[in-house]
Amino acid sequence: THLNVADNSGARQLMCIRIIGAGNRRYASIGDIVVAVIKEAVPNMSLERSEVIRAVIIRTRKELKRSNGMIIQYDDNAAVVIDQEGNPKGTRIFGAIAQELRQLNFTKIVSLAPE
Amino acid sequence: MRLEKCWFCSSTVYPGHGIQFVRNDAKIFRFCRSKCHKNFKMKRNPRKVKWTKAYRRVHGKDMTQDSSFEFERKRNRPERYDRNLAENVLKAIPKIDKIRVTRDERHHKNRMKGKKEKLQKEAAKELEQGISLVKAPSALRKDPSLTLPQKIKVSVSQRQSEDNNAMEE
Repeated sequence: THLNVADNSGARQLMCIRIIGAGNRRYASIGDIVVAVIKEAVPNMSLERSEVIRAVIIRTRKELKRSNGMIIQYDDNAAVVIDQEGNPKGTRIFGAIAQELRQLNFTKIVSLAPE
Repeated sequence: MRLEKCWFCSSTVYPGHGIQFVRNDAKIFRFCRSKCHKNFKMKRNPRKVKWTKAYRRVHGKDMTQDSSFEFERKRNRPERYDRNLAENVLKAIPKIDKIRVTRDERHHKNRMKGKKEKLQKEAAKELEQGISLVKAPSALRKDPSLTLPQKIKVSVSQRQSEDNNAMEE
């Protein structure tokens, strides 16, 4: 799918290629790391178009179900570009972020997030 | 655990029910059931949708300002647990509910005041105009006691017998 990029790493839109850590899984959800190719990028930044990078999904239009029964849905599909260790490439993050990311050790992303 | 209010219909959302929608500007909309969710997606304004609390408040059908609403205001500072306080709150909640219900009923009664007279007036008018459906006009002319009693100051007993006549026919 096409994902919006929610940080200032230089990419604007990503196309998801593969889910990491899953055999033949069809769908990734919030908190999954994904291999993606950059479809659209802000000019003159470190990332360029048609570069293959990793990203973690932070918002989906599909509902996220929590074990306490809460169901959360966002308005768009968005991801944050990360490197091999899981540190975000950008320095700012836009938009709301789910709590699930904190449990999955994406603490840097969570600390940068505004909401 | 918090009991939220549905954004669309203002009913309480209990845990395990409903969907939360987070918009990109980080505003959270909570819905109690898919009916409200779907209406929201259709971009309906709850102030115009008749069955919502928002509509009722805007159109004066339900109370808007009352001191019993102050108890339900959202407070962001958590209270330190105090056993006495908790006990008193638990005792007070049904009392406050009862008071609010009686005030609601009074408001409703005030709103409906004057409806009985209005209905009676309309019924009288209809009877006067439509009496020909019930009794032929010639019969009425012969026996005028069948019409409604005119507004003349007559002593009580006479008026009552006229009334009875009209009722019997």
